[in-house]
Amino acid sequence: MAKSILFVISRPPYKSENPKLAITHAMACFVADMHIDEEVEPVVAFVGDGVLNCIKNQRSQEFYGIISTEQHIKNQLASDMRMLVCKEDLYRLDIKPERLINARDMGADIDLNVVGFNEVQKEMERCDQMMWF
Amino acid sequence: MRLGVFVSDCQKNDSMLERLNGEGLGIFFVENGVYHAVIHENGRDSGVLQKKGVNYYALASDIQTRGFTTSEIDSRVNVVTYEDVVDLMMNDYEKLIWL
Amino acid sequence: MATISIGLFSSLIGSMNSDFAVKLAETAVNKGHSVNLWFSGNAVTLARKGQKSFKDYSYLAERLKALQENGVAIVACEACAAARGIHKDDVIEGIAVHSMDWYVARAAKSDRVLHIGGE
Repeated sequence: MAKSILFVISRPPYKSENPKLAITHAMACFVADMHIDEEVEPVVAFVGDGVLNCIKNQRSQEFYGIISTEQHIKNQLASDMRMLVCKEDLYRLDIKPERLINARDMGADIDLNVVGFNEVQKEMERCDQMMWF
Repeated sequence: MRLGVFVSDCQKNDSMLERLNGEGLGIFFVENGVYHAVIHENGRDSGVLQKKGVNYYALASDIQTRGFTTSEIDSRVNVVTYEDVVDLMMNDYEKLIWL
Repeated sequence: MATISIGLFSSLIGSMNSDFAVKLAETAVNKGHSVNLWFSGNAVTLARKGQKSFKDYSYLAERLKALQENGVAIVACEACAAARGIHKDDVIEGIAVHSMDWYVARAAKSDRVLHIGGE
């Protein structure tokens, strides 16, 4: 049976390295079974100001020459990684659903999953381990 | 879920702490988080201390590092050592987060 | 006894998070627990050899060496280190360098994980 790790992202992108490190650590779960006898299932949750990572049309590549957080999120969606976005924080920051990243152009079958904070808490209970970024 | 939350700052994360709940929630004040347990800004206790059903802990060495004594700690807060923190982490809390 | 994985993402200088993490690891080891210590982001600076001790700055190199001698697995993130100009030859003897999958695998198998975020 797979172990699960929940990566909670609570900071906005770019000023802090934390959101990208959360995403890259989550991605590393896909090869964690090189080290242990079980698979590791990553789940990512954006809460608080962390939901600002989920706004599309990021242009960091153009202005700073670094891959955007958006591209990382798209890669993860295309890899079928479950990604939750806190509904209350989107409302608080007046971010409409049409502004959210999707990876349909990359053939992703899933989108960011907008859920209430209570659902994030349920995921916190369900997971085996949690890392708060 | 028995959740232990480490609070290392005194000026942020109140809103996230407000949302976190659950039976047996524990809040560990460490580093500058210990100010929540001793400072009365504008005469009022920290809002973090208003949560019901929470066990509060403050690291004695971080209190004393900042010029306070453990006798100044709010009565709701348990003063703990690193040894206590390790025991609490292992025995009383299944998951831990650092805000 | 249990296994605890401590992930540290704060820098050596400019934050007391590193001091906290090392003290916590020391205490856990002294109580007989098994400890994994992972440095990522700016925390990879803890792994760099040649650090000089000043009274105004945190100095943890000797304590890390003692932890490692007491069986603590101390590992720095390879990409985070290389991005900061820290390569395998620049790392304190006994501290390993791995990619992130090492940490998430260890964390998944641990009894407790404390992930101390960066700035």
